[in-house]
Amino acid sequence: MAHIAPEIFNGLILGAFYAVVAIGLSLIMNLTGTINMAHGSFMTLAGYLAFALVSAGTSYWFALAVAPILTLIVGVLTERTLIRPLYKRDPVYSLLLTFGLSLIAEETYRLVWGDNGVPFSPPVALQSAVSLGFIEFPAYRLFIAGVLLVIIVALVVFLQRTRVGLRLRAAVQDNEMIAALGTNTQLLYMMNFGLGILLAGVAGVLASGMLGLNPQSGNALLMPAFVTVIVGGMGSIFGAVAGGLLIGLTISIVTLYIPAASEIAMYILMAVILLVRPRGLFGEEGIFG
Amino acid sequence: MIMGNRAGLITALVLLIVLLLMPQIAPRVGLAISVCTEVLLYAIAAMAVNLLIGYTGVLPFGNAAFFGLGAYGAGLSIEYLHVGFIASIVLGMIASFVGALLIGPFLLRRRGIYFALLMIAFGQVFYFIAYRFTDITGGEDGMNFARPAVEGLGVVLKDQQFYYAMLVVFALVMIGFLLLVRSPFGRTLLAIKENETRARYLGLNTDRFIFVALLISAIMEGLAGACYGLSIMFAYPLMLDWHNSGNIVLMTILGGSGTLFGPFIGAVIFVVGQEILSTHWIWWQIPLGALFVACVLGFPKGILGTALDLFSKRRGGFASEARELVHGTTYSEREIVP
Amino acid sequence: MSDVTLDRKSFLTTAAVASAGLVTGFPAILPSRAFAADTLRVGLNEEYTGVYAAYAQSETRGAQMAMDAWNARGGVMGGTKVELVQADNNNNPGTSVEKTRQLVLVQKCPVLMGTINSADSLAVSGAANALNTFFIDSGGHADAVTGEKCEYSTFRTCHSTWMETHATGYSLAKKFGKKWYMIIPDYAFGHALQAGYHAVGKQIGVEFVGEDLTPLGTTDFSPYLTKVLAAKPDLLLVLVQGDDFVNCLKQTTQYGIVGKVPIGGPQVELEAVWALPKEARVGYWGVEWYYTGVSVIGSGNKLADGFISEYRKKYGQPPTARSAFGYITMDRMLWTVNEAKSTNAAKMAKALEGAKFRSVWDGEGYYRDVDHQLMWPMWVGQIRAQGTPEDTYDIFDIVDRQEAEKIEQSVAEKKAVCHMNWPT
Repeated sequence: MAHIAPEIFNGLILGAFYAVVAIGLSLIMNLTGTINMAHGSFMTLAGYLAFALVSAGTSYWFALAVAPILTLIVGVLTERTLIRPLYKRDPVYSLLLTFGLSLIAEETYRLVWGDNGVPFSPPVALQSAVSLGFIEFPAYRLFIAGVLLVIIVALVVFLQRTRVGLRLRAAVQDNEMIAALGTNTQLLYMMNFGLGILLAGVAGVLASGMLGLNPQSGNALLMPAFVTVIVGGMGSIFGAVAGGLLIGLTISIVTLYIPAASEIAMYILMAVILLVRPRGLFGEEGIFG
Repeated sequence: MIMGNRAGLITALVLLIVLLLMPQIAPRVGLAISVCTEVLLYAIAAMAVNLLIGYTGVLPFGNAAFFGLGAYGAGLSIEYLHVGFIASIVLGMIASFVGALLIGPFLLRRRGIYFALLMIAFGQVFYFIAYRFTDITGGEDGMNFARPAVEGLGVVLKDQQFYYAMLVVFALVMIGFLLLVRSPFGRTLLAIKENETRARYLGLNTDRFIFVALLISAIMEGLAGACYGLSIMFAYPLMLDWHNSGNIVLMTILGGSGTLFGPFIGAVIFVVGQEILSTHWIWWQIPLGALFVACVLGFPKGILGTALDLFSKRRGGFASEARELVHGTTYSEREIVP
Repeated sequence: MSDVTLDRKSFLTTAAVASAGLVTGFPAILPSRAFAADTLRVGLNEEYTGVYAAYAQSETRGAQMAMDAWNARGGVMGGTKVELVQADNNNNPGTSVEKTRQLVLVQKCPVLMGTINSADSLAVSGAANALNTFFIDSGGHADAVTGEKCEYSTFRTCHSTWMETHATGYSLAKKFGKKWYMIIPDYAFGHALQAGYHAVGKQIGVEFVGEDLTPLGTTDFSPYLTKVLAAKPDLLLVLVQGDDFVNCLKQTTQYGIVGKVPIGGPQVELEAVWALPKEARVGYWGVEWYYTGVSVIGSGNKLADGFISEYRKKYGQPPTARSAFGYITMDRMLWTVNEAKSTNAAKMAKALEGAKFRSVWDGEGYYRDVDHQLMWPMWVGQIRAQGTPEDTYDIFDIVDRQEAEKIEQSVAEKKAVCHMNWPT
């Protein structure tokens, strides 16, 4: 029973992780109806770019700042060339196209960086355990928690307080109207996608320090992110955060008592929530049924 | 009926003759006959998906779960209940049916992206179950089982006989699909696909129709999966994974969703293409992924759909017969793109 | 009117030609796979795509070297050259079966080898047996391959899961103590490892102070690691593999376990260790073969020395255990064909069973009659954070060696589970 406190702490951090990935997915889905099955691939790309930068001699901090930006550029290019034609169409096409992209991405990573994964570590300063009184906790995880918190706060500020954020929120509600009012919707969609990918990029670099970095590592986080979006509710950033934390906590606690069920636990949670609230916890009325 | 459409009859006959001769043709071009069997079975799976995408207008992206349930249903019934060949296939179909019954209610009130996401997620649940219950299903190692004898005949079908048996199954499924699509039920599905709100205003309980379509689709997938398991005498969790779903959906769209022969064409291209590509390039996933991308951007109506478009632009008067051939049913000003 | 009739005819023709053409014409554009007549084609069915691709490549290289050596000596059966036919099973049992049939029926390979993932090994073993084709599993460890699912036509080179747990069990208990904590991947391989350690633990009186089954693809081991610290075991057994292995070790370092609790496990792949960041290069692990060390390759072992130096020259890296599996398998495969003067599976099986030989390790080995498992020793090594000054690849300190007969199940135990259906 003494274990539960660190477990809760762990769960919240894991949950924040899922939340950041889910927010990125959700942003992309809400505005344009694009299901991005390649989200995990972008995360892995950011990890590999960070690895490449560090191998070339830059510091970890530089890589953490620059790799997501490089990934953002790739994301925006992808959006302009491949995804834009799909906006008017049924979501099955974005599913298929991004699925195809994820296959290409994985194989490309294999060709460039090898099949077996590459070593990528957080800086030495963060590699020890910090005593928090009730437990010893890895400094790196505390760092991740900090970064994620900053991101979520910054995102909320951006969406609520800036003009662009306002336009994004308005466009999700009614993008015909906002186009009629003179906003350049194509530019908006591009920025929206870019933002989603930027979040994926940061999450990707952070994840690579904690988990292995190999051609498949992004995909392992993709399913929990989708479940988070469903649980939290489509159309709601707050839902993605709440959903992520809830799932992180659930997985951690179930792992403590019934480890064998920890993977399936999130699906059971999803089923239960859907029975009670078919739109997810904070799902918005009318967005994608 | 199919008799009234001579074009359809002749095409079907030609196809049948070619397929009957496959055991002679295939080895000459470097393909094992089991790959031809695989094509037929994945064509059935793609048709199951086609029912949902092309004729009902919903997105099924977890359909491989039913495929896998069929295979495991057959395998488990052989290992633990020692049933015969046909019984194992039927039990596989029942397993998929039950799977669809379980998750159907969750999917019902959602459409579009939500439907797709939920189906992916629930599909993964079945995947984990196959992984988890190692003692029963063999877990990640999968389960080996022997092909049982056919009841009544007492014979175990060998590769070539098995292929012909599957050809019979395939033909029956095609005919059944055609009948389904032309039935009042089928037409209702098309109406729902075209405009669900209007269908609902007409008093139709669209949820119920979609649910039934899902059940039928699941049974077809289960049939394909059970037969595939019997073909390779193996069932393994990856059969249920969403990557397999993606491949089957691609086959449907590549060949042309909403068409009769589209899924078959898609299956031929995908299965044979994968076979050839993987032999020559270790990085064959790249052209595969590129195919997904190219198909979505360039060929959204698939091969048959695009061909039909090109054709009907030029031969105005004949367009409706061509449509009937391609879609299996007549209907006026219809958009093929779902 | 006549327009419509013309359209219909042309449509019919188009439809007929199109469907026939599509179905037959497409495969007809396949490049023909011509083979030299009169060669012995060995089918190599490996996981060239997917997580095991690096191991597949190592195994293939080893096999190629053995084949080249035989060909240089004139081939088999008095002058027949050997040819390697590779097939990618895509780390997928269904594809493994299809490729098996392809290799045997279409590409005319009378003998097969390969596979790394146990699921693929089991699938290929069954499919090869259905075609009465000789198959040596070079890299799949599941006990079942030489246990309940054994076949008269299947042999196995790498160690079984049982051998891995018993070799490390004896070694590590001796070194560290008998209070063990286990982190186990929750799938068939993990359960087999768990059962193996329970068996060896029972024999030597081990107390299991904690056992956690972790789902595959677990990215976060923290819940288990905090429990480990609290339980204070003598030894932490990390049984997870692949990516999970890397995650887990990275996190044990971050949690400060590394200094406090010795870490060990059944086996580790050199390719995986080379990819580990320095702080995760810890622990004592089963080693199926290593390219340096007297207890492994002996001294003056010309075959081993030649294999190692040639491999290094050709590929720029030392051979790994996987390379050795490929080498030994191909070498024994060709020896057997030569000895039996046939590629008939039953004849080959009888020739290979029990035949003692020397190879790239120090000592004699043989494929046992009762289960067709290669009986050869296993070693235990400690990982060094860096290589030696002379060799950055050398990151293992071999600390122990266990003999095959001691670490594998007895003949009597195997007889009870393995029943081979020999053809009449």
